[in-house]
Amino acid sequence: MGSRGRRSSALILAFALAFVANAAHAGAQERAPLLWFQGTRLIFESPVPQNGDLAVSTRDPGLRRFLDRLGATFSYEPQSRYAVITAQDRRTIVFTVGDPWYTAAGVRSRAPFAPTADGSDVVLPFLTLARALYVEPVADGGEMVLQPRIGVLDVHADGSRTIVTVRAAMPLITQNTNDLPDRLQLTFVGQGTSLAPSRRAPGSALDAIDLTPGGTVRVPTTTLTLAGIPGSVHHVVPGTSPDAFSVVFEPRGPVAVNAPPTPPPLPQSDQNPPDYGATPAPLIVAGRATVTDLAFVQGTDDALTVRVALSGAASYEWHRLLDHRWYLDLASTTLQGPGRDERPSFGAVQAVRVRQTGSTDTPAVRIAFTLAGDQAVDVQPSATGLTITVSTQPAYDTARVGTGRTGGPPVAVSSVAPEAMPPAEPWKFGAPTGVANPRLIVLDPGHGGADTGTAHNGLVEKTLTLDIAQRLRSILVAQGWQVKLTRETDVDPVSQDNIAKMRADGKPNADDRAYLQTRCDVANSAGARLFISIHVNSAPFASARGSTFYWYKPQDAPFAQALEKGVVASAGTVDDGVRHENFYVVRHATMPAVLIETAFATNPSDVELLRQPSFLQNVAQGMANGIKAFAGAPASNAVSKQ
Amino acid sequence: MRTSRALALIVLFFVAVGAAWWWFHRSPAFGDSITVYYTKPDGTTLAPWRVSLGPARDPQSVAFYAATQAVAGPPPGTDAVRFPAGTRVRSVHVHGTTADVDLSKEVAGSSQEGSFAEAAEFKALVWTLTQPSLHVSTVTVTVDGAQVATLPGGHLELDGLTRSSF
Repeated sequence: MGSRGRRSSALILAFALAFVANAAHAGAQERAPLLWFQGTRLIFESPVPQNGDLAVSTRDPGLRRFLDRLGATFSYEPQSRYAVITAQDRRTIVFTVGDPWYTAAGVRSRAPFAPTADGSDVVLPFLTLARALYVEPVADGGEMVLQPRIGVLDVHADGSRTIVTVRAAMPLITQNTNDLPDRLQLTFVGQGTSLAPSRRAPGSALDAIDLTPGGTVRVPTTTLTLAGIPGSVHHVVPGTSPDAFSVVFEPRGPVAVNAPPTPPPLPQSDQNPPDYGATPAPLIVAGRATVTDLAFVQGTDDALTVRVALSGAASYEWHRLLDHRWYLDLASTTLQGPGRDERPSFGAVQAVRVRQTGSTDTPAVRIAFTLAGDQAVDVQPSATGLTITVSTQPAYDTARVGTGRTGGPPVAVSSVAPEAMPPAEPWKFGAPTGVANPRLIVLDPGHGGADTGTAHNGLVEKTLTLDIAQRLRSILVAQGWQVKLTRETDVDPVSQDNIAKMRADGKPNADDRAYLQTRCDVANSAGARLFISIHVNSAPFASARGSTFYWYKPQDAPFAQALEKGVVASAGTVDDGVRHENFYVVRHATMPAVLIETAFATNPSDVELLRQPSFLQNVAQGMANGIKAFAGAPASNAVSKQ
Repeated sequence: MRTSRALALIVLFFVAVGAAWWWFHRSPAFGDSITVYYTKPDGTTLAPWRVSLGPARDPQSVAFYAATQAVAGPPPGTDAVRFPAGTRVRSVHVHGTTADVDLSKEVAGSSQEGSFAEAAEFKALVWTLTQPSLHVSTVTVTVDGAQVATLPGGHLELDGLTRSSF
C-alpha cells in the first residue's frame, strides 16, 4: 500500500473511531432518563448512567435544587472521605468516597457504585440518594418520576397509649380528614407509599392501621386510617419538622377528650439512644461515684490544694461554719481505701479529714478543713474530679454554702474509652483582690440598638431587659446602693478604645468582643461590688420555661444561688437552675457576676408573665432580695470591707 | 570490612528514619464506631450515642464525620436541643490538639433561640470532637469561613472552646 493509501486508511479509521465515540456518548445521553420531580423536570448538567443508577456531581445545580426542595443539607470537604447528607428530619445519609457501602439512618446498604471525588465535590449515586431521602424513582412511560413517599410509619406502645409516628419525604399536605374520637382518617396529597398496606396492633389502644395508595404516579395520594379500640380517644402532635407528626391513641380514661395535646413519650427513648450501627452502651447512673485518689499539694504562697480523683459523676455541697471549719460532702460517693488525716505544716489549714459518711444505701464522702480563719476556699469541679484550694488569704466573699456537680456526664462505659479530660482551661481572670467601690452594683441590660436579642410573641428582649434593670435600680438605690447601668437607652454600647485594643491584640472578631468587653469594663473600671447581666431566654421548645442563672468564676456561684432563691420566690417562675456556662460578660467581669435569663419568650406561660409589668417588678424585687442575701446591706457591707 | 560497616550504618539510618516517620504519621486507631453527644432538652445533660464509621479512618475524615453527626443531632424522635435547621459543617481541620470547625451561616439562627440553645448545641459539638480517640482538646468555630468571637444569641465565646468551657 502506498503512502496515500495508508493516509486514507488512517483517516477512515479516525472517522470510524470518532463516530463510535460520538454514538456511545449519544447513547449514554439517551439512556439518562428524563426525570420529573414535583411536576417539573429535574435537569442535571451531566448525569452519567452507571449500573442502573445515575452518577451526579454535587457540583451539579440540579442536585443542589433537589436537596433544597427536600430541605436536606450536604456536607463534604476534599480532605475527608465522608459525604454527609442531612434530611429535614435530621436523618443522615453517609457516603464514603471509594466505598459502595453507605449508611442511611444507621442502616448500611450497598449502592450500585462507589462515590468518587470530583475536585472539591463528589460524584454520588443519585437514585440511591433519592431513595434514602424517601423519594422513589418510578418509571412512567419513557420517563422517570421521582415520587415522594411516606417513608416511616412507626408504632410505639407506652403503657396504655399507642403512638403512631409518620415521616415523609416532603411536608405532609392533608386533603381529606375524617376525625372521630376513636378513628382518624387522613389523605395526603403528593406522597405515595410502598409501606405495608395494613397492620394490626393487638392489645393496645389502636386496633388497626391501614395505608391505601391512590392517585397517579405523578400526583400520588396516600390515605392513612387509624382505628382505635371502641371508646378510645386520640390527639395529633405536630412533629419537629413539617414532614412528620404523631398521633396518640389512648383508652378513654380520666383524661378529658378535649384535653390539650401533650407531647408523647418519644418513640425512641433518649435514655437508651437509638442504634446507629452499634449496640448502645449502658449509661452510668449519675451519682454513683468513687473517690479513687487524693493528693495534697503545697502551692505558691503556701496555699493547700487537694486534688480529688473521681470515677463517675457526683453532686457536692460545701459549708463554711462560723468556727472556721469548712467541709464538702460528695453525695452518693464511696471512698476507695481508708480515711485520711493530714496536718499540713504550712499555710492556713490546721487539719484535713477525709471520711466515708452516710449509710450503705446513701454513701457520702466528706472532706473537712479546720482553718485558721475565714480563708478563701476555691472549689473547681472537672470531669475527672475536684480540686479544692485553700488560700492563705482571707476570703473576700465568705459565702456559707455552695453546691455543684463534678465528674463526667453519663457516658457509655462498655464501649467508650475512659474520658481522658483535656487539660482544664486556666482561669484567666482571677478573683478580685480588692473592690474599689463596695457600694456599687453594675446592671447590664442585655442587647440593645441593632442587637434586639430574642424576639418572640411580640416580646423584644432588649426592651424587657432595660425595663427590668431600671426597676431594679430604683429598688437598689432606695436601699442605699450605688447603681450604674451599662446602657440607659436603646443602644448597644461599645468603646472605640476597646475595638482598637482588641484589634491590636489580634483577637478574632475584635469588634464583637469589644461590644461585650465594654459592658464588662463599666463594672471592672469602677471596681464594682457586683455585676448582673439581665436577659430574656428563648428555646426551640415551647416547653422550656423558667428562670436560669449562669455563672462562670467560682465566686459567681454563690451569688447565682442567692439570686435564684430571690427571683424564684418573688416572681414565681419555674426554677430552671444555676448553670455553669462560658458566657463572655460573666467570665470577663472581675467581680461576682451572674447572667440571668429571667423567663422564656417562647413559653406560653412565661410570655403571659413577661407581658405584665407587675411580673417585671417582681423579678427586679427578687434580684434585690438575692443581692441582699448575698452581700448584705450596702452600708454594713462597706464598713466590713474598710 | 569498612564498607560493610558503612552499609550497615546506612541501613540503620534508613530504618531509624522510617521508624520516626511512622511514629509521627501513625493514625490513631479508630474502632468501627465513634461516640456522638447530644444535649437533652434541659440544656445541660449530655447523652451519647454511637455511630458507625465507614472505611475512612484517618483523623481528618473521622473528625469531619463526628462534627457532621453532632450538628445533625440524634436520630429523629429523640428529644434534643439541635442546631438550627440547615446548619451544616463546611469543613473541619485538625492541627495538633485543636479542631477548627467551619459552620454554615444558618448556625446564626441560634440568635433567635437564645443562650439556652446556643450553649447546649456547642456543648454537644465540643464534647463530640474532644472524645479521647480524636486527640482534640480545643475547638475553634468559624461561620462561613469568618472568625467570630461570639454568636449574637447567647454571647457564648466560640474561640478556644474546651470541655471545661461548659
